[in-house]
Amino acid sequence: MISKYWAVFKISWEQGLVYRLNFTLWRVRSVLQLLLVYFIWWTVFQSQTQVFGYTQSSILTYIMVAALIRAVILSSRAIDIAGHINEGSVVNFLVKPLGFVRYYFSRDLADKLLNISFVLVEIILLITILKPPIIYQQDPLILLLFVMSASLGLLLYFAIAFIIGMLAFWVESAWGPLFLVTIILEGFGGGLFPIDILPRILTDTLLLTPFPYLIYFPSRIYLGTLPPAEIIKGFIILSFWILVSLLLILKILDAGLKRYTAYGN
Amino acid sequence: MPPVILVKNLKKYYQVNQKEPGFWGSVKSLFYRKYYEVKAVDNISFEIDEGELVGFIGPNGAGKTTTLKVLSGLLYSTSGQVSVLGFEPFKRQTAFQKQFTLIMGQKNQLWWDLPAWESFILNKEIYEIDDGQFKKVIKQLSEMLEIEDILKIQVRKLSLGQRMKCELVAALLHSPRVLFLDEPTIGLDVVAQKNMRDFIREYNKMFNATIILTSHYMGDVQQLTKRVIIIDQGKIIYDGLLKNIVEKFSSHKVIKVDFESEVEKKQLESIGQVKEFTRLHAVIDVPYNETAKRSGRLLNKFHVADLTIEDPQIEDIIRQVFSSGV
Repeated sequence: MISKYWAVFKISWEQGLVYRLNFTLWRVRSVLQLLLVYFIWWTVFQSQTQVFGYTQSSILTYIMVAALIRAVILSSRAIDIAGHINEGSVVNFLVKPLGFVRYYFSRDLADKLLNISFVLVEIILLITILKPPIIYQQDPLILLLFVMSASLGLLLYFAIAFIIGMLAFWVESAWGPLFLVTIILEGFGGGLFPIDILPRILTDTLLLTPFPYLIYFPSRIYLGTLPPAEIIKGFIILSFWILVSLLLILKILDAGLKRYTAYGN
Repeated sequence: MPPVILVKNLKKYYQVNQKEPGFWGSVKSLFYRKYYEVKAVDNISFEIDEGELVGFIGPNGAGKTTTLKVLSGLLYSTSGQVSVLGFEPFKRQTAFQKQFTLIMGQKNQLWWDLPAWESFILNKEIYEIDDGQFKKVIKQLSEMLEIEDILKIQVRKLSLGQRMKCELVAALLHSPRVLFLDEPTIGLDVVAQKNMRDFIREYNKMFNATIILTSHYMGDVQQLTKRVIIIDQGKIIYDGLLKNIVEKFSSHKVIKVDFESEVEKKQLESIGQVKEFTRLHAVIDVPYNETAKRSGRLLNKFHVADLTIEDPQIEDIIRQVFSSGV
């Protein structure tokens, strides 16, 4: 049973390696983005030692960890489902004994693994060159919580992207909504800065939405300064959103398939 | 034995959104949409037995592909009863999916950037085929299709004909008992078309597979199938032997004649209806039961270099069926 999805994983990985140039450029883009954010913060700290309650080393660590998390979470093939619906090739999966959601999740994981292996090399290189004063977290409990929150975030983003992708059952293109979500993610998800530098009321409101749990929450846990109460609260909200989105996936998939009337005749 | 495929009073209606042309039409359609109903399949019934190879004929939009999609479990029917191998297709049960295949000439399942072989391996796992069986089927099919040497080449670098062959192998790896072939020869050149036909015929015989085939090329249908189902505007207008309908509509024969010296068109009009004429060559339709008499007269009156008598083209017959009904 599992070997089916292992095979999907393997073939996706091979496929990913075919477009080396494409992939390399994608990674270059990520590195540039990381450098940009890095130097903005580096400059800010030239004239002061503490900004919004963050020290230079904690914010630079945050940026590095966020880059790693972004590679894990945002590299997702779930949105491909939209294209597959629109061009009708979704038919290929529907006539086969293959779990729809599991299929895309396997492809997702393959893509993530590919990205993770690259981003690790990139970050190690950058650390060697820039020698930033970053924090090496050594508390095993915090590291465990970090991995757990990142894994749950991965699941949550997959679910969100999958739901948006399935919009293609109703509309002709799902890229618009996904683009919007990506923007929201970069800003309010904590991709560019830790969101708790925003006014308190805004931070608290954002923390009720799913977005900060994709990048901000795990990166913040890594720093080791988040009070236990907030960590627990965060995990509860995160689990709630995962539950909601998984239920939504099933509902929407069911409705979408009912409504699906493949194009062409 | 019950029929492998049973369709009874099947209806499939679509709601289609109607948009007025132009910019304002688009704006208007954001707020208010008019729908109209398309009867893609309108109350059809038929049965197909094990091992039968049946041709589905009809113009674009007649409902052929829709029917195949309902049979494959891709579309919910609006009403009516459908059963394939005893299963209700739209439930998409694994046991059912392991026993049929759907091949669409215009869609592909092979991974474009990888050799076909990789897609085969993937399908092997998806359909849970064991190693021995997998090797056996690959060997058998690739010998039949003569593609042993292209399995390790990137799919995007193959010709359309080679690709279609690989598509076939991918779709048949799990040795399905029922095959739905939707325009399998579309876009292929004459040679590739013939190979494809030969393969389908052979496969049908070898494995006693039940096959429904749709095609625009009458040649496919004529050479492969005995029984045809003619469908137009969602309704079945004929279901029976191809031979019978050809006979019924073959009210005439076609004489093709070459002359040794030039003749006038007028002179030929007493023989029959002149369809083509170039002074040294003519094509003439003559009534079915007067073929001998008329061709005798032709030979007597003119210096004939060559003469053949043929049945009318199947395309003409089908056109006649669509314009006048059965």
